[in-house]
Amino acid sequence: MLFRRIVLYALLVGASAGLLLTVVQLWQVIPIIHSAERFEGEKVPAGVHGHVGHQHAEHEHSAGAWEPAAGAERTGFTVMSNVLMAVGFALVLLPVMLVSSKTGGESKVNWSKGLFWGAAGYAVFYLAPSLGLPPEVPGAVAAPLEARQLWWLFAVTCTAAGLAGVAFGKTPWRWAALGLLVLPHIVGAPRPLTAAFSGHPAAVTAELARLAEQFIGATAVANGVLWLTLGLASIWAVRRIGSVST
Amino acid sequence: MNNNATVVNNSRVSTASGAIAKPLQLVAAFFLGAVILYGAGFVETSAVHNAAHDMRHSQGFPCH
Repeated sequence: MLFRRIVLYALLVGASAGLLLTVVQLWQVIPIIHSAERFEGEKVPAGVHGHVGHQHAEHEHSAGAWEPAAGAERTGFTVMSNVLMAVGFALVLLPVMLVSSKTGGESKVNWSKGLFWGAAGYAVFYLAPSLGLPPEVPGAVAAPLEARQLWWLFAVTCTAAGLAGVAFGKTPWRWAALGLLVLPHIVGAPRPLTAAFSGHPAAVTAELARLAEQFIGATAVANGVLWLTLGLASIWAVRRIGSVST
Repeated sequence: MNNNATVVNNSRVSTASGAIAKPLQLVAAFFLGAVILYGAGFVETSAVHNAAHDMRHSQGFPCH
């Protein structure tokens, strides 16, 4: 059964990509998160600044909520989350790749296609949303969560549809799909009402701004590794799953 | 679909279950992936958020 094969291969692809991602994260992303978290407690009382809307001090969450203990437990949950997320991406990616390979035949399923699919996933799920909502270190003030999640979905959907239109469209009109790539950025991502690190002492603000900049580079590399792995491993999976045209 | 050969000759039920349209199976897999991504990246419940916290920050999912 096709569904069962897709799920099996998505688990394998997702596990390998998620584990590799974890290695990269532990090396350069997680240390920045931990550094930023050290400053979270050092806020000037928020009332002084009259913040409206979302506040990142809420990051410490409703008191008493469960959270993984620092160290091995926290890392363990990050590994699980990474693998789960990568399996989710593989489950979304594999059906789309299978449908597209159906029209192209065996010759089209080669490793360079894996790079292409990986690049597309990187553009859709990392680059496009990050242009409006750069990955944030803990402690940054941001617009309300629901608004950002909606814009994230909007950016991902538009970018995916735009790339698909250009790549698979059959008429000259397909270039109109390029408009979908810029649409989310014309609409604009939700913005916080205050500066990202307001509420902290000046020295901490400067340090957090430096960490935030490093964080964008670190996540760009980590996501690049994730999507390179997902793209190449998914080509392997598509070859193993075989034709869907019968 | 080589592994279907073992069930098809048996009963009408197994034939029917093996015959779920392929487009439907593809859509089902895609949808399952979307649900998993929603759970890992978007669910706001504190425990889920805290467990997935570092991954969400790292992958650029809106967090908090």
